[in-house]
Amino acid sequence: MSVTFTTREIGSLGKPSWRVKAFAGRPIEEADVKEAERWGRRLEVDGHEELVEALGNGGLPLTEIDDWASRYAIRLLEQAGLDVVYDGEQKRTEMYDHVAAFAHGFEPRGTVRSFDNKYYAKAAVVERPTADGPQDVDELRFVAAHTQKQVKVPLTGAYTMEDWSYDEHYAREGALGGSAERRFEARRQFVEDVAERVIRPNVVGLVKAGADWIQIDEPAAATKPDEVPLVVHGFNTALRDVGAAKRSMHICFSDYRALWPAVLELDDCLELQLEFANRDSRELGTRAEDRPGYAGTLLLFAEHGYPGVGLGVLDIHSDFVEPAELVRDRILFAVDALGGPDRIQVNPDCGLRTRSWDVVYEKLSNMVAGARMAEDVLNKSHAGAG
Amino acid sequence: MAPLQVYAAGIYPRSEALVQATRDLDRGRTTAEDVAKQRQADAQALVAAQEQAGLDLLTDGLLDWQDLFRPLAERSDGLTARPLTRFLDTNTFYRALLVEGAPRLGDPIPAPDLPAGRWLATLPAPSALARAARGAASPQAFAADVLAPQIEADAQAGCARVVLVDPFLAREGGVGEAIASLHELPERVPLALHLPFGDASGVLDALAHAPVSAVGVDFYATSLEAVPDGYPKELAAGVVDVRSSALEDPDELAAFAETLLERNSAGVALTVNGDLQFVPEPVAREKVVRLGRARALLAEGVTA
Repeated sequence: MSVTFTTREIGSLGKPSWRVKAFAGRPIEEADVKEAERWGRRLEVDGHEELVEALGNGGLPLTEIDDWASRYAIRLLEQAGLDVVYDGEQKRTEMYDHVAAFAHGFEPRGTVRSFDNKYYAKAAVVERPTADGPQDVDELRFVAAHTQKQVKVPLTGAYTMEDWSYDEHYAREGALGGSAERRFEARRQFVEDVAERVIRPNVVGLVKAGADWIQIDEPAAATKPDEVPLVVHGFNTALRDVGAAKRSMHICFSDYRALWPAVLELDDCLELQLEFANRDSRELGTRAEDRPGYAGTLLLFAEHGYPGVGLGVLDIHSDFVEPAELVRDRILFAVDALGGPDRIQVNPDCGLRTRSWDVVYEKLSNMVAGARMAEDVLNKSHAGAG
Repeated sequence: MAPLQVYAAGIYPRSEALVQATRDLDRGRTTAEDVAKQRQADAQALVAAQEQAGLDLLTDGLLDWQDLFRPLAERSDGLTARPLTRFLDTNTFYRALLVEGAPRLGDPIPAPDLPAGRWLATLPAPSALARAARGAASPQAFAADVLAPQIEADAQAGCARVVLVDPFLAREGGVGEAIASLHELPERVPLALHLPFGDASGVLDALAHAPVSAVGVDFYATSLEAVPDGYPKELAAGVVDVRSSALEDPDELAAFAETLLERNSAGVALTVNGDLQFVPEPVAREKVVRLGRARALLAEGVTA
C-alpha cells in the first residue's frame, strides 16, 4: 500500500482587513476592497464579486461579513491543497475569549500584558461554568456546506481554559497559606466542570451534526508538569462516549518531556499535533544533527509508542517560507525516527494567525508539496525494495 | 512586637490608557513622547494610591520595564535580550538573555523620583539573571559585575530596600550557588530575596543563613506549615495574590500576619506574591488598597 500523509492546518488564520475594520466600526478603504478582490480572484471564491461590490458601497451586515471571511479562509486552505480544512476560526474572537464569552460562569476582568506591548483579555471564573448548548454547530454546518474536504473542528481544551482564567470560585476560600493538595483539588474541579459542562455539550452537538474530527487545543498542557494528568482528564471527560469522530490534541511551545507517561491515558487519541519547526534548523538534511527541533521529541513518541504525531513542519512565528524540500526532509527524518510513516501526519506548528495570507498561502502550498515529495521518496523506495 | 513593613514590589500593570498608547505606538499612531507622558501620569497615580493606602515603601511601578531582565540587559555590555521565552506557567513571556561577552553594567538604571529613605527597588536576583541567560554566565558574575554597581547606585540615591526576585529558585533548585552569589552584593541597603510563584518549603532552611535581611515567600504556593518556628530571617510574606483577580479580605491578611508574627521574632513584611502586572490595573489598585487596610488593622491591633 502506498504511503500518504494527510495535510491540514491547526486552527486560526489572520482575519482580512475588511473583516477587522467592519467589526471595529472603522471605515472600509479602497485598499481593503482591492484586497477582497485580489484574494477573491486568486482563490476563485464563488460570488466574491458580490462582496467586493458591497464593500465598495458601504459594507454589509456583520454576520454576512463573517460568512464571507469564512468562505475566503476555507478556499485559501483548499487552494493550498490541504486534505483537511476548517475556516481559520474567522468567526471566533480568539481561542480563549471564544469560550469564556459564550459559557456562563466567566466574567471579563480586563487587559493583561503578554510580553512587550502585546496584551490579552482575561476573564475570571465566578461560578461553576456551564453552557446552554453546543457552541460551534452553526459554524461547523457553515464550513461543511462550503467544502468537499474532510473537516477538523478545533476546540479550546478544558485545562487551558482553567489555566488562563482567574479563579474567583474554586480556590476562593483557604487559598492563603493553604496546602498544595487543596490547590490541586481546586484546579481539578475547575477542569472537570469546564470539560463536562461546557466542552462536552459542544462536542456532542458537533458529532451529531456530522463532525469528522475534533481537535482539542491545549497550549497550556505542559506548563505545569505535575498537572498533565489534569489535561488528560479534561480531554477524556469532554470526549467521553461521543461516537466515532476522530479526536486529537494540539500542544505548542512547551517542554514536551512533561507529557509522557500521562498522555498514554488519553482515550482513543489519534495524535498529538505539536510544534517542532520553531526549534529546528532551516538547512536540508535527514540526519538527527540536521533536525535538532525534531530528534528529542520524536524519541519520546518512539519510546512510548502512543499516540501518533501531527508533525509541525512550518514555523508560524516567521515569514520564512519553508521550501518543499525542507518539509520533505523533516517528514523523512520523522519516518526514520518512528520506524515508519504510519503514525505521522503533517501540519503547521500552530495556527497561522500572525502571518499575512500571502505568506500563509506560500507556506501551506509548500507544506503540501513537501508532503507529496516525501510520499514519492518513500513509495519509490518501497517499490525498489519490493 | 517586631516592626512590620508593607510594600508592593515588582512591575505594576499599565492602565487602559497606557495600554492603548503603547499599542498606538507600535502601529505608528502616536509618538514616544506621548507614551512617556501617559506613563508618567500612571506612575504618579500609583504613587498617590500607595500613599493613600498607607504603604511604608513606595515604587513607581517600573512601568517602562518590558520584563524583569530587560532593563539591566539593555544597560550592560555583553548581554542581549532576544528569544521570547514562556515565563513559567503565567501565560506571559520574557526575552531570554544572550551572553555575548562578560556581562558588565554600564550606566545604572536611574533612581525613581521618590523620597529618599522611602523607596523600594526591584531587581532580578543574580541566580535569576543566570537562569534567564540559560547558564551562559554565572550568578557570581552577574552579582559582582551587574547587580553590585546597580545596588550601589540605588543605595546612594536613598533606596530603603532592594527586592531581589528569583522566580525559578523555589521550583528548580540551585540554592547553594544562589546564596554564594549574594555574598558578592554590597550591604549598604537591606536586601530581600523574593521567591514568587514557587513553593519555598524546600529552600527556607538553606536561606536562613543567606546574606539577606528578608526572605520573600509566596503564601499562595507555600503552606504556612512550611515555615519553621523561630525562623531567623524576616519573612516578606506574599499575601496578596497577583495571579488572582479575587480581592483579598484585609481581615484575613491581618490575621495571617499576626500568626506569622507570633512565630517569627525576626519580623514580617506584608507584600505581594509577585508582579501586580499579572492582574488588570483596576484590580491591582484595589489590591494595593487592601494591603494598606491590612496594615492599618494590624497597627490598631498593636496599639489596642
